[in-house]
Amino acid sequence: MNLPLTDPVLLAQDIPDVLTARLRSSGQAVCLRFSHKGDLLASGTAKGTIAIFDLETNGVARKLKGHTTGRTVQSLSWEKSGRYLLSSSIDWKVILWDLQDGSRVRVVSLGAPVYIAELHPQNHLQCVAALYEYRPVLADLTSPTKPIQHALPNLPLRAPHEQDANPEKADAKHFTTVAAFTPSGSHIITGTTKGWLNIISTTTRQTISSLRLCSKPILLIRLSTSGRDLLVNASDTIIRTIKLPDLSNPALSPDQIHLDVEHKFQDVVNRLSWNHVAFSSNADYVMASTLMNHDIYIWERGHGSLVKILEGPKEELGAVEWHPHRPFVAATGVESGRIYLWGITTPQRWSALAPDFSEVEANVDRKKNWSNAVWIWKMKSWMS
Amino acid sequence: MSISTPDAPRRSPKRKRSESEDTGVPPQYDGAEDSAALQYAYDEEMPSELQSPEEQEQEGAVAKKPRLERPRELNYVPHMTLRGHKRGVAAVKYSPDGKWIASCSADATIKVWDATTGALAHTLEGHLAGISTLAWSPDSLVLASGSDDKLIRLWNISTGKCLPSPLVGHHNYVYSLAFSPKGNMIVSGSYDEAVFLWDVRTARVMRSLPAHSDPVSGVDFVRDGTLIASCSSDGLIRIWDTGTGQCLKTLVHEDNAPVTSVRFSPNGKFVLACTLDSCVRLWDYVDGRVVKTYQGHRNEKYSIGTAFGVYAAEQNEVRNGDEDSEEDQWAFAACGSDDGRVLLWDVSSKEVLQEIQGHEGAVLGVDVSGQTQQLVTCGLDRTIRVWKRRPVVSATTNGNGVHVEDAADVPPPPPPPLDDGPSATGTPANGTPAVGTPIASAEES
Repeated sequence: MNLPLTDPVLLAQDIPDVLTARLRSSGQAVCLRFSHKGDLLASGTAKGTIAIFDLETNGVARKLKGHTTGRTVQSLSWEKSGRYLLSSSIDWKVILWDLQDGSRVRVVSLGAPVYIAELHPQNHLQCVAALYEYRPVLADLTSPTKPIQHALPNLPLRAPHEQDANPEKADAKHFTTVAAFTPSGSHIITGTTKGWLNIISTTTRQTISSLRLCSKPILLIRLSTSGRDLLVNASDTIIRTIKLPDLSNPALSPDQIHLDVEHKFQDVVNRLSWNHVAFSSNADYVMASTLMNHDIYIWERGHGSLVKILEGPKEELGAVEWHPHRPFVAATGVESGRIYLWGITTPQRWSALAPDFSEVEANVDRKKNWSNAVWIWKMKSWMS
Repeated sequence: MSISTPDAPRRSPKRKRSESEDTGVPPQYDGAEDSAALQYAYDEEMPSELQSPEEQEQEGAVAKKPRLERPRELNYVPHMTLRGHKRGVAAVKYSPDGKWIASCSADATIKVWDATTGALAHTLEGHLAGISTLAWSPDSLVLASGSDDKLIRLWNISTGKCLPSPLVGHHNYVYSLAFSPKGNMIVSGSYDEAVFLWDVRTARVMRSLPAHSDPVSGVDFVRDGTLIASCSSDGLIRIWDTGTGQCLKTLVHEDNAPVTSVRFSPNGKFVLACTLDSCVRLWDYVDGRVVKTYQGHRNEKYSIGTAFGVYAAEQNEVRNGDEDSEEDQWAFAACGSDDGRVLLWDVSSKEVLQEIQGHEGAVLGVDVSGQTQQLVTCGLDRTIRVWKRRPVVSATTNGNGVHVEDAADVPPPPPPPLDDGPSATGTPANGTPAVGTPIASAEES
C-alpha cells in the first residue's frame, strides 16, 4: 500500500547496489530460499538446522530441527502460500515442515543422500529429488505413513546415431545431479553428470526431450517464474540461459521441443567458475556467485552484458538468491556462514516532511532562492 | 413544497441528500473542499464489508434487485456496563476474534472481559503507572499495553501472565501502540516525541523514527503493514514507510490543531484523525487533502479514539450477518466526546447517525466489534459500556423526525459533573488529557 507514495525513481531501479544487512542464526548457512511472497527467507545450515528469517524485522521467525545433526541441509523449497517448506539433506531425508507451528508434516527417507529436492508447484504433497549416485525420485507424500516413490530415468533420450557403441559402459556412471519442476508442474527438468538436460513428463515419468550442453556435470538448473527461461550452471565454468517452449501447453508434442542456448556467461580472462546462480525476479538479469572470489556478478539478458558486480563482504559467497519481486539479493558467506543482504538505498525526500516543502535541485542558486535555502536549513536542523 | 410523509417511497439512495430538506434534515456543510466528486473517495477498493454501495451506483443505472434503503439513523442501546476499574478507563479494544474486550486504566491495570457475557476474565497487573493504550495481536493471543512507566508490556491472554521481557526504550510515557498485521512488529508513540518500531520476537527497537516536535499521540499500521501513520500535538500527521523508515507524506490542516489520534481506514486509503478543534477528519493521505470532516461532538481537551464500523438496513440486521449481502452495508465512524456523548457518522454523507448519551464525563475510547458490530466505549467515569444495535423506534427519536442536529444551532449540553473528577484525572495517563494541553486536574490533585 506504500506504492502510491513511493518515489518513482526508486521504483525504476531494478538492481540492488548496497549491502544493507547481515543476518546470523546459530550455525553456518549454506542454502537459501525466499518465500513466494518474499516476506520470509529460509536458510539451511551445515549442521542440519533450518532458520526462517522474517525480512521485515531481520529476526529469526522460526528454527526447525529435524535433520540429522551435523549433516548439511542441501536444498529448501517453499510451497506457494508460504505455510509449508520442504528441506532435504545428505542424511537421506526430505522433511515437509508446517511453519504454522514448526511441526514436521512428513519425513521421508529416500535411501541416498539428496542433492536437491523440490516441491510440486501446485501440490505440496508431491516432490522431486535428485539423489547421489541413484535415480531421481518423484515422491507422492499424500499418505502420511507410506510415501509412494517413483524412480525417474537418468538417461537422456538420444537419437540412434548419438548412441555409443557400448551404451551400457557409457551410461554406467550417468546420474542425475539436479531436478526442478516447471511452474505448472507438468514437467520435470533434470541435469546429469555428463552434461545432459532431460525434460521428463510428470504424468508419464518418461523423458520426452534431451539436450547435451557440455561434457561436465551440471551443477544447478533454475527456471524463471514464467517457466520460459532456464538457467544452467555447469562445471565447465559457463552459465547458460535457454529459452523453453511453453511446456504447460498440452498440444505441444515432444518433437517440437527445440532447446537452444540463448546466452553463455563466462569470465574468459580469469576463468572463474561459479558457485551458484539465480535469475532476477522477472528473469531480466542473471546473477552468480564466484568460486574463490568475493563478488556477485550480474548480467542483463538482453545483450548478455555484465552490468553490476556486487561487493561487500570479504569472503567467498555460496548460495545466492534474488527476491521474488524486489531489487533485493541474499547470499551466504562460505567461511562465516552469515547471510548478506543487498538492497537499494532510499534517501529521505525532504518534500515529504511538510506539505509546502518542495524538492530543490542540487545546483539551485541559493542566493537567488534564499527563502528556500532557509527552509532546507531549518528542515535539516529539525531532523538531526 | 409539501412535507412528504415519512413513508413516502424514496428514490435511489443517491438522491437522498437532495431530499433531505423534505425530511427536515438540514444539509451539512463543513466548509472543507467538499464536492460531489469527493464522495467517491471512500469506497474504491474498500474491503467488501465496508463498501458503501451508495457511491457505486451509477445515476440511471438500473439496479438488478431492489436495493435496501440506507438507514438514516442507528439505535444503539445499552447492553452491558462493565465496572471494576478504580480510575478512568483510557482505552478499550475488542480482540480481533471478537471474543474479548480489553480495557486499560489509570489504575495501572488491564482488564480482559468476555465480550458476550461481560464476565471479567483477567486483571493484568504489572505496570507501575497508568496505562494509556492497548493493542491486540492479530491472532488475539497477545495483548500489548503502553504505560506511563515508559514500558510496553506484552501479555499472554490464555494465562493472564506478562511475557518476560517488556519493551524498554522510551524515555517518557508511552501513549499509543499498534500491532503490525502479521503481529511481528509493534509501533509505539510516546511523550518523548519519538515513534519506535519494535521487533516483537526480540523485544528490541528496530527503528526509531524522528517523528515529531511534540508528544506523539497516535500511531497506526495500514492493513498490509507497509505504512505507519503517526500524529502529534504539533498538528502534523506523518505517513512512514515501514521498510525504510522514511517519512513519505506529511498532512497538516491549516488550523494546526493538535492531532490526538489517527487510524487508517479499513481499505487503507485514508486516515481518520481527531483534532482538538472538535473535528474528526478523513484524509486522503496520497493527495494530502481532507476528504470529509465530521463534526457535532466536543473535543478540546482529551485524546479520544475513533473506530470504523459497518451497518446494514434494519430488515436484515447486522446480527443476522450471514444473510446480509455486502452491498447493503454502509460504513460509519464513531468517536467520543468530551461531554460524554458518542457520535456515529455515516462515512460518506457525514450525517450523524446516532448521538449516544454514553458516559458521565469524557468518553475516551470507542471500538466496534468486527463480528457483531457491537459498540464498546469507555470513559473517565471508570465504566466500560457495551452497546447493541436495535431497530429504530420512531417514538424514541426526537419527535419531529429531526435526527441530525446542526452543531451550531444546538449547542451540546454542558458536561455533566464528574462523579469524582480530581481522582479520576490524576495522572496524565489516567484521564488521558490530550497531549500538549495543560493537565488541569493534575494540579488539583
